[in-house]
Amino acid sequence: MQESVEDRVKKVVVKVLKVDPARIQPSSRFAADLGAESIQSVELVAAFEEEFDISMDEDEALSVENVGDAVTFIDKCVREQHED
Amino acid sequence: MSHAKPKKHDLKDVADPNLWEHVFPHDTVPLIPFDSPIIEEIDGKRIVFEPREALARDLHITDTTFRDGQQSLPPFALDHVAKLYDYLAKLGGPNGVIRQTEFFLYTKRDREALDRCRSLGHRFPEITGWIRAEAGDLRLVKEMGLKETGMLTSCSDYHIFYKSRKNRKTAMEDYLKVVEQAVAAGIRPRCHLEDVTRADIDGFVLPFVSRLMELSESLPEHLRVKIRLCDTMGFGVTYPGAALPRSIPKLIYRMTHDAGVPPECLEWHGHNDFHKVHVNAVTGWLYGLNAVNAALMGIGERTGNPPLEGALFEYVQLKGTTNGADLRMITDIADFFSKEMHIEIPPRHPFVGRDFNVTRAGIHADGLRRDERIYNIFDTARILGRPPRVAITDKSGVDGIVLWVNNFLGLEGDERLKKVNVHKIARWVMDQYEIEYRTSAITDDELAEQVRIHLPDHHSRRHSRSKHS
Repeated sequence: MQESVEDRVKKVVVKVLKVDPARIQPSSRFAADLGAESIQSVELVAAFEEEFDISMDEDEALSVENVGDAVTFIDKCVREQHED
Repeated sequence: MSHAKPKKHDLKDVADPNLWEHVFPHDTVPLIPFDSPIIEEIDGKRIVFEPREALARDLHITDTTFRDGQQSLPPFALDHVAKLYDYLAKLGGPNGVIRQTEFFLYTKRDREALDRCRSLGHRFPEITGWIRAEAGDLRLVKEMGLKETGMLTSCSDYHIFYKSRKNRKTAMEDYLKVVEQAVAAGIRPRCHLEDVTRADIDGFVLPFVSRLMELSESLPEHLRVKIRLCDTMGFGVTYPGAALPRSIPKLIYRMTHDAGVPPECLEWHGHNDFHKVHVNAVTGWLYGLNAVNAALMGIGERTGNPPLEGALFEYVQLKGTTNGADLRMITDIADFFSKEMHIEIPPRHPFVGRDFNVTRAGIHADGLRRDERIYNIFDTARILGRPPRVAITDKSGVDGIVLWVNNFLGLEGDERLKKVNVHKIARWVMDQYEIEYRTSAITDDELAEQVRIHLPDHHSRRHSRSKHS
């Protein structure tokens, strides 16, 4: 069965931020709750682009604050960029 | 002061930003507009100084790089003196924004240097001499055929009593004697009132200067005595209400108003012992003198003289014109100082230091990336040939690194890389500090190597571009 966008986002977050998967909720804020530093925010954007083979508007992507919004944003990018 | 009830101030939300472009045009040097007079209370009277009238006068800069500047360093090579003089001529331009420069005349080397400069045939800066107020020294001026010389006429009791071991009467008589001899020889005297900011203004300075002005009354213009106010120890202050002898506004007013010294015959020479050298000097322009004496890079005895390049930028900001001065020469001169003369320029020295427009903070680098005007004082690439740069430390962030990489690769517009493109380089930089506990800045060579590793295509394109350019 294909992994959901949400699961793949969580997997990337665990890898980049080195946090316990149990801590990651849709409402988890990258900086305030998961401790993402400035450079890690950029690393997350790069890792999402690689994981989903998409290109994101950098300023928009960096303004996303929590995991749930990231899933929505990435899902939208995937639909736009991978439509057959 | 009464405390009236504050007015209500409503926010004016606007569609377009107010960038004050008439003050900060960015492609040229910013301007300093005045919208009110300057008011000082002197001797119980309210005295009004009009900045606009002051700025309409023939303000200019005089140079002391070869005299006070060189005095503070090992002697310059003759070739270096000649080259710097040539640079000064180009920097000041054909209208003489840098009007004069002064030389010692004591040694064969001093006189050879003067001859070398004179042989270049520049009208500006005019070469003048510097001597003690002694008949023997005056002979040197005559022999060199100079039309003007500064002469040391110390005026504080520190100097008169303890250095010269004279009294005021003898000192004044001795000074006047040499001044008269200079005039008789057709040489314009410029009396350097050494240590004036510690002098008794009413008891010595005004009587002496008044005598000089009386003497000048019967003289043709080219021989009238000039007065240089020498703040030898940097004690001068510009604060309104400050008392003499430290008050620069009051000192200048007493010279122009009470002793009748015209602005074209009055000059300021300062030192930086209290970090005030630049503002003290250029404030003099507003209060009634025309000439500010300065030295390239601010070199000079102890803490130095006003930096000439700073005085020039102040001139342009106040006057609103370069008046023919070529500001780009400033970078050439700074390069000459450091590379040819091996004189160290402090890295943060405004306009000329290696780091004067280098940012290390990530948030500033981000601002520069978005719009250079946010964190660059003016278009330093256009005016000084020095584009703003980013130096990389743990404070630079990804913003600083992406700006550095784009500048290094020479990428413009849509070609410019984004932060996600350089995150591996940024991680390497952060690890240097967080894992390796590094305490020094990352060098350009190290960053270039990281670009080669992580952005090989970009690096090779840059390499082939630079080979073909």
